[in-house]
Amino acid sequence: MTKRLSALILAVLASGAFAAGQPKAWDILREILFVPGVSGHEGPVSDYIQHKLPSGFKVQRDGMHNVWFTAGSGKPHILFVAHSDELGWVVDKITPEGRLRVKRSGGLLPETAEARPVLIHTARGPVAGIVAPRPGYDERRQQADSPEAPFAAENFDIFLGVSTEAEAQALGVTEGDPITPKKVLVDFAPGLMAGRAIDDRAGCAALLDAALRLKSDAFRGKTVTFAWDVQEETGLIGAAELAKTLKPDYVFAIDTFVSTDSPLESQRFGHLPVGQGAVLRAVDSSNVTPRTEISKVMAIAKKRGIPVQVGNSRGGNDGSVFLAGGAVDIPLSWPGSYAHSLIEKIDRRDLEALSDLILAIISDWK
Amino acid sequence: MNDRIAKKTGLLLALACLAVGSLRAEDVWSLTKTVFPIPSTTGNEDLLAGKIRGLLPPGLAVEEDGLGTVAVRIGGPGAPTLLLAALDGYGHMVSGITPDGYLTIDRPVAPPHARFDAYLLGQPVIVSTVRGPVQGVVSQPAMHLLTQERRKALVENFSLENAFVDIGVRSEREARDKGVEILDPVTFWPVLTELSGDKWSGPALGLKAVAAVLVAVAESLAKEPPPGETVIAWAAQTKAAARGRGNRPALGALRAKTKWDPGRTVVVDVIAAGKDGTAPVPGKGPVLILAKDDPTALRQAFERAAAGAGIACQFLAAADSPLALPFAGPQSEVLTLALPVQFLNTPSEVVDLKDIQALQDLLERFFRTGGGQ
Repeated sequence: MTKRLSALILAVLASGAFAAGQPKAWDILREILFVPGVSGHEGPVSDYIQHKLPSGFKVQRDGMHNVWFTAGSGKPHILFVAHSDELGWVVDKITPEGRLRVKRSGGLLPETAEARPVLIHTARGPVAGIVAPRPGYDERRQQADSPEAPFAAENFDIFLGVSTEAEAQALGVTEGDPITPKKVLVDFAPGLMAGRAIDDRAGCAALLDAALRLKSDAFRGKTVTFAWDVQEETGLIGAAELAKTLKPDYVFAIDTFVSTDSPLESQRFGHLPVGQGAVLRAVDSSNVTPRTEISKVMAIAKKRGIPVQVGNSRGGNDGSVFLAGGAVDIPLSWPGSYAHSLIEKIDRRDLEALSDLILAIISDWK
Repeated sequence: MNDRIAKKTGLLLALACLAVGSLRAEDVWSLTKTVFPIPSTTGNEDLLAGKIRGLLPPGLAVEEDGLGTVAVRIGGPGAPTLLLAALDGYGHMVSGITPDGYLTIDRPVAPPHARFDAYLLGQPVIVSTVRGPVQGVVSQPAMHLLTQERRKALVENFSLENAFVDIGVRSEREARDKGVEILDPVTFWPVLTELSGDKWSGPALGLKAVAAVLVAVAESLAKEPPPGETVIAWAAQTKAAARGRGNRPALGALRAKTKWDPGRTVVVDVIAAGKDGTAPVPGKGPVLILAKDDPTALRQAFERAAAGAGIACQFLAAADSPLALPFAGPQSEVLTLALPVQFLNTPSEVVDLKDIQALQDLLERFFRTGGGQ
């Protein structure tokens, strides 16, 4: 008992040495989730991030809405990057009946959007709509043995409540407007929630929180860049743009770990439970982290008393586009159940451990 | 008993807080918003019944039938005219709790269509327990881990066999500690979406709008009772069919027929609308269902009421619904009036506010002009 208490006190003291203030990542996440930012339309969420950042840093923003700042100088150069875009759709065209045909922007299961409310983010503000259920949804199929047309973004439409193209246009809706599901936050308990766009707004929130708590002596003798990039969900496009100019030695991509902590998944791999700490995403579909680097991270986490789990799963990460430029990619995460859904699940303890881990790495990385 | 009532009152308040919008019961649209978030599935109608009781004018004595139906009697005496709507909608209920704390679910009655269960996949839901609403989600596979085979099994052919409600606990005991019990209703998150063109959308919105219309009519008739006697009833278990041979009437309606034995019955139901441009059309007024070719006295009374008040109506030839079936006989007259609902029996039922208002106006006009006699 005494040993445990001593370890706890040491961990608290150690964490105080590299971070200032209480973590705010959870509160930031609950706000930033509701800021729209479909891939290619990240302006509002980039505004939010830029507005939140401490004034002491020279923040840069490019035409794509990538936002970043660099602090310190010297080697190594460490880059942390989280993507600010989210899954959704864009208006492809307005039909003569006033309905919207759409193009998808990233991979959501279309079946989970059927007969569900959405918001069209027009220049004049959000307009509500409903993804129309498939035609004949309530009728017995005439030919049960013939395959049913798939319910996909390419063949569904959105009902706005109007019946002509002119009425839809009068609402301010135009081709190219981004569309998100209408979001709700499911609070299972204090500190445990589910919602749309936890991927990767949780990464954005952890990185913002770390930036807000960053002490200048933590990055003495090294270069640290924080970046919030765009268009990850449609092909790591924002990160690729950043990689043209940023040449880090190490890149820590902050993004979801696709956890199999779910009743529907095989737990052969990826079974890192929600609520048991941040994640080092050792192997995914785009990167294999060297074992030596995993050991370095785990040693830092242990020293600071930060719970971190290591696992392998699927999905790519923004850090992988920096590999060709000579960086080592070490993706960091939280265990996320139900990835790419309306109900992405996250535990506050995991998010705060992730934010603490970012700060610990800045302080201790060599 | 008092403790149970207090808990249910707390649950009602908490559920109401989940809804969007004003909660003042000052008109039929506000009433619709008030009752919208209250779950009411077959066998679990008590929360909505309680809410309706609370909204009714204090002077009216509420009658019950032991199955969950509530009714009020206005005016009299005489063979009553019954105004009847459903209190229950289609939905799901907790059927079990797994050792690791996930809830399995079932339906109390057959679904309205084959895709009904599929809408649960990956959605936020509310489990209404005696301790209050418990927030949960219906699990879905992660996109990154879907193979073609798993997609076919878990998504395209999703069924209640694969429906697990995650309420954020790790054991059966933790689930029970939250108050979850077998049979608790599981319903979609009550998100009301205000669309353009005076339309609202949400789960079970048609049912709730009709229930609100009857509350508004009861309020109005109670202030100034029309000639004769009127019973206004919100019938429980209407989605359950009475057993027996031949046509299967709605159980709740059959019991209402037995209890009140009305001479005339006006059933207020919902009807699928706006399908491929065919009638009925949302926004064009309430729908009079013409089950017989003969223009009955009841139908003529409604047509006169509509014409007198300048209320547009739609007409549709269709067989009597299970709600109307028990009342169709040589000794009694029945007419079904329906609210047009687009995307009926999906999580986003769409109703036109003009239709809700017109339905209320038509019913009031009908009773005020002696249509019930």
